[in-house]
Amino acid sequence: MRIACPHCGLRGVDEFAYFGDASVTRPAADAAETAFADYVYLRDNPAGAHRELWSHALGCQSWLVVTRDTRSHAIETVEAARDVALARTSEAQS
Amino acid sequence: MPEPLLARSALRAHVAPEIAAPAPGVVLRERTDLTLASVAAFKGREAELADAVRSAYGIELPTTPTRVAAGEVAFVWAGPGKWLATATGPVDFSTLPAAVADQSDGRSVLSVSGERARETLATLIAIDLHPRAFTSGDAALTHAASISVHLWQTDDAPTYEIAVFRSYAATLWRWLVHAGQSRGIDAKL
Ligand SMILES: [Zn+2]
Repeated sequence: MRIACPHCGLRGVDEFAYFGDASVTRPAADAAETAFADYVYLRDNPAGAHRELWSHALGCQSWLVVTRDTRSHAIETVEAARDVALARTSEAQS
Repeated sequence: MPEPLLARSALRAHVAPEIAAPAPGVVLRERTDLTLASVAAFKGREAELADAVRSAYGIELPTTPTRVAAGEVAFVWAGPGKWLATATGPVDFSTLPAAVADQSDGRSVLSVSGERARETLATLIAIDLHPRAFTSGDAALTHAASISVHLWQTDDAPTYEIAVFRSYAATLWRWLVHAGQSRGIDAKL
C-alpha cells in the first residue's frame, strides 16, 4: 500500500503511522458523559470507504486524512488534516 | 567560567576513519563545515518570514520539497512551514521572525557522490532518485534503512547530502560503507 502525501508525493506505507477514525469529533467540554463515552470508545467498522488519520511520521510529519476502502485498501483521497480541521471550524462558524 | 564549546564529529570515535578504493565509484564524506538551524514559521506569519529570508539572503523560501541556495546559505524544505537552514560560515539565523533552533550539533550531514552514488543509496532508500524523478535542487524527507533522513541533491555528479540525527550518524555511515563495498567506496573522515 502506498499513500500520496499531499506534501511529499507517493510513499510506501512504511513511512506512515495509523492513528484511527478521522470522522469523530470531540464533544464540547460540558457535553454529557455518554457523548464522551461514544467519542472515546464507539467506532463504526465499515466494509468500504473509511476516513482515517495517518501521520507521515518518517517524512514531513504532517497529519493526513486518508479515505480508504477497507475491503481493497484502494485510497480515494488524501487531504492535509489541517485543511480538514479548518474547513470544519469555518463550517461550524457559518 | 563556562567551558569552551568544541565541535566534535559524531562519527570519528565510532567508525573506521578511512576506506579507500583504487577507482572509487562512490565517495562518502562528512560535512563538518556547516552551520545548521531548524526554522519553523509562526502561525499565519509565513509571508513575513519569506520576506525576511528574501531580504537577508536573497533566497525565495521553497514551499515544495526543494533546496534553494545563494552564496554560503541554503534553505531546504522540511515539511509545510518548516525548513532546515544551512550555511558554510558562521551565519546567525536566530534573528529571523520564526521559531529557530540551532542544529549544528544536533544533525550530522553526510555527502555521497560519484557515478555509483545513486545505486548505493538505492539499497537503503525506497524513493526514486533517478534523474527523471529527482534532480539537483530536489529534497526529500524519508528513511534510509529505517533511519529518518533529510536528503537533497546539490549537483549532477551526482552529489547527495544527507542530514541525519547525530546519534544515528555512525549507523548510517556503516550502512553506506557496507552498501558501497561492492561499488568501490572511498569513505574518509
Ligand atoms: Zn509528507
